[in-house]
Amino acid sequence: MSMADATANSHAVEGARPLRDALIAYRRNKPALLGMLLLSAIIAFVIYGTFFFKGDPYEIVWAPQTPPGTDAAVPLGTDYLGRDIMRGLLKGGGPTLAVGAAAAIITLVIGISLGGIAGFFGGWIDDLLMRVTEFFQVLPALLFAMVVITLFSPSTLTTAIAIGVVLWPQTARLTRAEFLKIRELEYVTAARSIGARNGRIMWKVILPNALPPLVVSATLTVGVAILFQAGLSFLGLDDPNTMSWGLMIGTNRQYILDAWWPVTFPGIAIFLTVFAVSLVGDGLNDAFNPKLRGR
Amino acid sequence: MGSTAYIARRLLYGVILLVGVLVLNFFLIHAAPGDPAQTIAGAMGGATAKMLAEIRTSYGLDKPLLTQLAIYLAHVAHGDLGTSYYFNQPVIGLIAARVGPTVLLVLAAQVFAITVGVAMGVFAARKPSGPLSAFIAVLSTIGYAAPVFWTGIMLIILFASIWPIFPVDGMTSARFAGGYFAYIGDVLYHLVLPAFTLAIIFLAQYSRLSRASMIDVLGADYVRTARAKGVSETKVVFKHALRNAVLPIITVAGIQFGNLISGALLVESVFNWPGMGRLAFDSVLRRDYPTLLGILFFAALMVIIANLLTDLSYRFADPRIRTGGR
Amino acid sequence: MKLTRREILGSAGALLIAPDIAFHAHAAEPQKGGTMVMGSTQVPRHLNPAVQSGIATAVPGTQIFASPLRYDADWKPHPYLAESWKIADDGLSCMLNLVKNAKFHDGKPVTSADVKFSIETIKAHHPFKTMFEPVTSVDTPDEYTAIIHLAHPHPALLLCMSGALCPIIPKHIFGDGQDIMNHPANTHPIGSGPFKLQEFKAGEQITLVKNPDFFIKGRPYLDKIVIRIVPDLSSVVLATENAQVDFLPFLAESQFIKRLEKAEGLGVTDKGYAAVGPINWLAFNCGKPPLDDKAVRQAIGYAVDRDFITKALLRGTAREQRSPIIESSPFFDAKIPPYDLDLNKANAMLDQAGHKKGADGMRFKLTVDYIPGGGEEQQGIAQYLKSQLKKIGIDIAVRASPDFPTWAKRISNYDFDLTMDEVYNWGDPVIGVHRTYLSSNIRKGVIWSNTQQYRNPKVDDLLNKAAVEMDAAKRKAFYDQFQMIVGDDLPIKWLNALPYHTAYDKRLGNIPESIWGSMQSMDEVYWKEKRS
Repeated sequence: MSMADATANSHAVEGARPLRDALIAYRRNKPALLGMLLLSAIIAFVIYGTFFFKGDPYEIVWAPQTPPGTDAAVPLGTDYLGRDIMRGLLKGGGPTLAVGAAAAIITLVIGISLGGIAGFFGGWIDDLLMRVTEFFQVLPALLFAMVVITLFSPSTLTTAIAIGVVLWPQTARLTRAEFLKIRELEYVTAARSIGARNGRIMWKVILPNALPPLVVSATLTVGVAILFQAGLSFLGLDDPNTMSWGLMIGTNRQYILDAWWPVTFPGIAIFLTVFAVSLVGDGLNDAFNPKLRGR
Repeated sequence: MGSTAYIARRLLYGVILLVGVLVLNFFLIHAAPGDPAQTIAGAMGGATAKMLAEIRTSYGLDKPLLTQLAIYLAHVAHGDLGTSYYFNQPVIGLIAARVGPTVLLVLAAQVFAITVGVAMGVFAARKPSGPLSAFIAVLSTIGYAAPVFWTGIMLIILFASIWPIFPVDGMTSARFAGGYFAYIGDVLYHLVLPAFTLAIIFLAQYSRLSRASMIDVLGADYVRTARAKGVSETKVVFKHALRNAVLPIITVAGIQFGNLISGALLVESVFNWPGMGRLAFDSVLRRDYPTLLGILFFAALMVIIANLLTDLSYRFADPRIRTGGR
Repeated sequence: MKLTRREILGSAGALLIAPDIAFHAHAAEPQKGGTMVMGSTQVPRHLNPAVQSGIATAVPGTQIFASPLRYDADWKPHPYLAESWKIADDGLSCMLNLVKNAKFHDGKPVTSADVKFSIETIKAHHPFKTMFEPVTSVDTPDEYTAIIHLAHPHPALLLCMSGALCPIIPKHIFGDGQDIMNHPANTHPIGSGPFKLQEFKAGEQITLVKNPDFFIKGRPYLDKIVIRIVPDLSSVVLATENAQVDFLPFLAESQFIKRLEKAEGLGVTDKGYAAVGPINWLAFNCGKPPLDDKAVRQAIGYAVDRDFITKALLRGTAREQRSPIIESSPFFDAKIPPYDLDLNKANAMLDQAGHKKGADGMRFKLTVDYIPGGGEEQQGIAQYLKSQLKKIGIDIAVRASPDFPTWAKRISNYDFDLTMDEVYNWGDPVIGVHRTYLSSNIRKGVIWSNTQQYRNPKVDDLLNKAAVEMDAAKRKAFYDQFQMIVGDDLPIKWLNALPYHTAYDKRLGNIPESIWGSMQSMDEVYWKEKRS
């Protein structure tokens, strides 16, 4: 499900269902439910790991490179230093998801603001903002994030900001398209005619109606941000003192010849999370756009 | 508007974007914490105090900011993208040696992803609810959701330890001694795994898009007319429908070029492919800022060129545009 | 290993002739030809060891450049570019007689002017300041004679003229007035060694081909050496298993050593690293409380279990090291206190030093840094310290640096409590040991200087005396005293010698096993059988 799809779909919206109907439609969509379930399970796992589980993932607890299933104390085995993979998964989920979510929020704030302003005002403001957006789209995202993080030294905050800064163009484009469409609609003209100010119109009238495709896009952005964070910590560009799933893959990469599990399990964790998020996103998309269901 | 004028306009626009990238680089150097001279020299390696002084004079670091910007742009206009003080070589030389492998990797991946993706989509479109369609749906999500570097590592485990039929490291064999054709063969042999890994992400997307697009097109009027006229199914699919179905894929492929480069960065690191991506990663470790910024510039250049080519091929492929309907 | 005075001074007063005495006696004449592919994870910046230290430059550099002397596996010097040498009786000068038939790769002859130029260049630019610091001037009475004048006797001189420490670089190329640190010839070097540079692909590959006019007739045996740079250690190990790489030196990770030992067709040796003297250690920031108190450092010393580290963490592949001087060196003093594990003593010492345990059982907090990318030697031990030092009430926080420059900056600016580190002896203590303990070498911002801020005037005195003492027995006495003092002051707890090993294709003959190993010319290496 790409951004191009989302954009195309939203343009086809004609009589998108309001929220309540959408939720009903969603519940009838099996893959979407599966996604919801999976995502909830993952979030529960991560919450447990972050707030309730007391173990230290950096602690050496067992013989190095113990395969999974050898002993109940280390169910998923240990890495090259003898650290528990399961602990790594439990403690590493928080930073992975948190950075992903934070980056997604930053992306959305920047993207919706810039895209909304461009779409609403049109004219030279639109042109200017679109040039800026295109400019940022020319910079390959990961590379740009790498440059920014390297220059400003890696830390959880730098990573979140860097990801947010590179991902916003697509959200901006989507928001702009929505605003362009909606501002011509009747209820907007009505609002204007009773003298509502621009800010109020954008915030209270247009945005809520632009929400459905934006929500879908937001969900997918979270998925992309998580993959991004994983890639950056794999490359060693994240805070090395915070365990995350990408970091586990990166530090254990050297030892894959003898131990496949320290790399495989975190990868599966990332995959399942992004998979769940994308199922949810797809489900929301289908729910908001009944015409496209049944594809 | 005529094609030439269009190309000229796009080229000019591209140049403006590139200048924008340079300005961005400039501001990044100065926004970064620490001494800009140290940033230009790179934090690790041979920058002696004498060299730092030279950098300060040559880049005018004590002058007002805008003057500095002008000086910086002038340097680049003369082909001087800076010097990697780690290797003591001009950045442009270091990057030039690496551009070829990256372009090769990216093109190979893109071609593979488009070809196989479209093919899969076409076959699935014939049976929208068949097993192939379901397979594509599954594949598309796996390809999208699994981190590309992880997929690469899994493939390395598979092909290095379990089933060693493909090399997992580098672009050529170290011991290679042979003629031109043998060299090409060696490179292609090494290209298989990295290109496949990179292609998987997009393969998923293209096949899904192609299937949807194909279903749409197959339901269009002119296709029904062709069928009614008795044109064979194969001809309908391949001659009439395919051409139009491919258009959205080209659009998306063009948009995705930036992501392709980002993916290539990770794939090159995993497979030790000697391209720009790996150089970028190594430069990060060495705090070789000039090289890193130079790569950013080059990557942006590649994306701009790719966008231009995509636009042109789109115009070429879509007869409605070519006849100057716009 | 005991050396006689004669051996240490390199036959001072005697002349050695016949430059083609081989290091190894072999029965049959080795086969000529073939390519050897060497694997490496390090990226050299350029190929001129005269101005750059480090293994990455040394290995290719010593194939391209020749030095006056070469050493064998028993610390004995042999003629190389210098067919004979004589150290004056007062120790204040050394005369080198060069071979007359050595030429640089561009055909120009190697003369004493080049030797003079090289020594002056190294003295001015090489990071190891102590190598040629005593050199006051170099005379060149004729084309093939160089006389090195010293301000004081320099027992390390002969060693400094071997291996990667003294490459003879051509004056007619490097002496053209350009800044030698950035000289273009650094990446396209012309030397007089057994191999010429064919191609230097920065960060990827270095291709060396046979020098057909090498001054030792009949050598080198190999046609080509290709150094393949693969940053990922597991990839290069895999390549070695698959015969893509024939020779892999400087392998220190225990699990890969064990893995390659089991591989068919491969030999694994730990010989060839006697001079490098790589020590893995835990350093204390002696300028920062509570580590400025000797008792605290000693207590930590008693709590860190070397036995566990070498046997369990490093799986028995590494040897214990309890002195600043590598245990394979003739100057090592076995009497140095080992600080074997004694947790009770450690706890008692900390109590006595006034650091009582708090309610949570902790006395104080310390951070420990380590070199990023250092694998089990660095990160593994740092993590081990966390759980181990908890037992004596010290709360350790492991602080990872994202990359080497960040770590180097922290340590060299004294922004640390404890840090893991790996530092090399480089043959003679004057070269690689003094720099860590001399108070005159406390240089802020310079990594691998005396970053521990350790100051002991007695140690300074002993080291300075040992640097100029030509009598071997007296010199050893100074170093013995030195070791006993630092063994008590404990600015550093020395843990293990890095278990450098070389994995090689068994079909290769004359694998370099001298004290410098692959950091010396490999003109004698050959293929026993032709490779397919």
